[in-house]
Amino acid sequence: MAEGKLMTLNMGPHHPSTHGVLRIVLELDGEIIVKATPHVGQLHRGIEKIAENMNYQQVITLTDRLDYTAASLNNFGYCMAVEKLLGIEVPKRAQYIRVIMGELSRLAAHQIWVGTHALDIGAMTLVFYGFRDREMIYDIIEEASGYRLTPTFLRVGGLANDITPDFIKGVREFVKWFPTALAGYHTLLTDNIIWRKRTMDIGTVSAEDAVNFGFTGPSLRGSGVPYDIRKAKPHSSYEDFDFQVPVGDKGDVYDRYLVRMEEMTQSLKIIDQAIENLPEGPVNVDNPWVTNPSLDVVMDDISALIRRFKIQSEGPHDPVGEVYQSVEGSKGELGFYIVGDGNENPYRMKIRSPAFILISALSKILPGHMFSDAIAIVGSIDIVLGEVDR
Amino acid sequence: MVTLTIDGKEVKVPQGTTILAAARTAGIRIPTLCYHGRLDPIGSCRMCVVEIEGIAHPMAACTTPVEEGIAVISNSDRIQRIREDSLKLILVNHPLDCPICDKGGECLLQDLVYEFGIDKVEYQAPKPARESLYATPLIRYWPDRCVMCLRCVTACREIKGIGAIEIKGEGYGSQVVVIDAEKCQSCGECLSVCPTGALTENLSRFKGRPWLVERVPTTCTYCGCGCQLELNVQNNRVIGVTTQEGKGVNLGSLCVKGRFGYEFIGSDERLTTPLIKKDGEFKEASWEEALTLVAERFGAIKEEFGPDAIGGLSSARCTNEENYLFQKFMRGVIGTNNVDHCARL
Repeated sequence: MAEGKLMTLNMGPHHPSTHGVLRIVLELDGEIIVKATPHVGQLHRGIEKIAENMNYQQVITLTDRLDYTAASLNNFGYCMAVEKLLGIEVPKRAQYIRVIMGELSRLAAHQIWVGTHALDIGAMTLVFYGFRDREMIYDIIEEASGYRLTPTFLRVGGLANDITPDFIKGVREFVKWFPTALAGYHTLLTDNIIWRKRTMDIGTVSAEDAVNFGFTGPSLRGSGVPYDIRKAKPHSSYEDFDFQVPVGDKGDVYDRYLVRMEEMTQSLKIIDQAIENLPEGPVNVDNPWVTNPSLDVVMDDISALIRRFKIQSEGPHDPVGEVYQSVEGSKGELGFYIVGDGNENPYRMKIRSPAFILISALSKILPGHMFSDAIAIVGSIDIVLGEVDR
Repeated sequence: MVTLTIDGKEVKVPQGTTILAAARTAGIRIPTLCYHGRLDPIGSCRMCVVEIEGIAHPMAACTTPVEEGIAVISNSDRIQRIREDSLKLILVNHPLDCPICDKGGECLLQDLVYEFGIDKVEYQAPKPARESLYATPLIRYWPDRCVMCLRCVTACREIKGIGAIEIKGEGYGSQVVVIDAEKCQSCGECLSVCPTGALTENLSRFKGRPWLVERVPTTCTYCGCGCQLELNVQNNRVIGVTTQEGKGVNLGSLCVKGRFGYEFIGSDERLTTPLIKKDGEFKEASWEEALTLVAERFGAIKEEFGPDAIGGLSSARCTNEENYLFQKFMRGVIGTNNVDHCARL
């Protein structure tokens, strides 16, 4: 190639390391990236628009399909936003179970992330361990909800149903076992010289840049900013649990990796506390406009039948108003902004997708790096295109 | 003009207005069940009770006329309890029919029960065995679902001036009965004003839920009155006809043809190709064949017997433009004034 002539290279949308259908147009000077332009929208399904034509309970299934690696966390944020709009608070037991479901989803998301991220860079073994342990979590989620990837277990006003003794047993077994598996991950990667060379001082984002880009979640904390929604704006009883927020110091790929690894330990700690201190009581609010009456009552009380009919066919009508509610998703601050106009469906729903904001910083982070490092950087900010494109 | 206050808001209305109408002009909602805009106030359901300062007894807003200087309270704990209890007493006798009821989803009783958040009916009463006493082939009466609002009886008398149905019995055992079956025209006025599923039509039974059908506003094609109606369309099939209260020249009323005569639209017996009679039997033919034959025969008849041997009869279901074209064709092409129309018959 003639000197100074740039080569344009399409990475994706079918590249195995772009985590879905991300397409990055790279301009290369030899092997050095000069310019990077991420193209999004290939997985756009119009979830925000579809939500305007569905009632509040039906929209939950759509949120499962945002960041599908941590579906319960999406349900979590959405349900809390609607509950805020309706002005209801779910019972303590439901809050704890939601935390357990959310943290299990975070673990599942981090497991799949560590597996695929390592696979992208060339450490193939870990992906098998990651998926093996994720299966355990999905078995637990399946026990509660009947579904694995998209559980839709949370409802506006509580949960679809109470958890079973088998669920608690499964969670306890997992909490007992997973530290061993996590130690295995560390053995394979943390002190691995190839891993360190591929990740240290690569894709460094300073704390100031990270804040300016709008980073949240592990990517922000990797740069040393201790911001976590669970601590900053505690919701759903997160203030009851004792856990730390790990931060990195340099903000390179390796730091983001360490932060996520430590987050898994902390999530496990939260799950352990929640399952051992699980309060007794109902899992749904006692609200005749929101809570579905149980089928036993419906069979002999006409008012319960009418309520169930109305809740199933229309669902709760929200008051006129707008709310924003965010949760700490597995990728960062996952926020739902909902405008209600007094009908049974949202007038407008906007999703603050953390991955979309992370992806938009790629054009700033990638230039100057080798082409092969692009894979490491894209993997390290942990994007899921279902959430980016919505 | 009379001045009164409702919930502290000063309202000015003409003498003789009811409290309910006065509240509506002031934008204050009072829930109603038996009240219907086109009927004289009935006052049977007790949903619209309000408190008037200085009067111990709560009054029905739909039947009480306003008076100078009264202060009305449209909602209070006591009023709320009375309304809830009225609904519960209606529900005592209501069957568990919502899943199979055609009205489910647009039922006023359902709406009120949900709005008031009633989650348990504490009362119980023996359910009298009641059989369906009034049912034409088109209208079905479900006595158990009836909430005794008397809308149907009043509408039959006041809107249609027929009075074919009446209430029989007293108190708990009362129900709607037919007093003169000869008079009933199956116009369906009673079922269109029914707030619940006590009166349903037989043709569109179990065909679609209200939130699944698309309601297409259109004009009735039967006669020149131009009644406004809505075709209930589901999966490109008309499954029923409804009207909106007070809409169009008919104000929401329809006759038996307009309300029930829609089945021809999707009928299997409609012709899809022209038929030509050959050897005493109809055979399917193409449009070209058929039109050529018609033109030839018209020409031949005109030649042999003169243009007045041909007459044209048009249809009321065609548009004005089509009918205009038709008479133009008869006069201009055939050359005859023998043009007539089925609506004149």
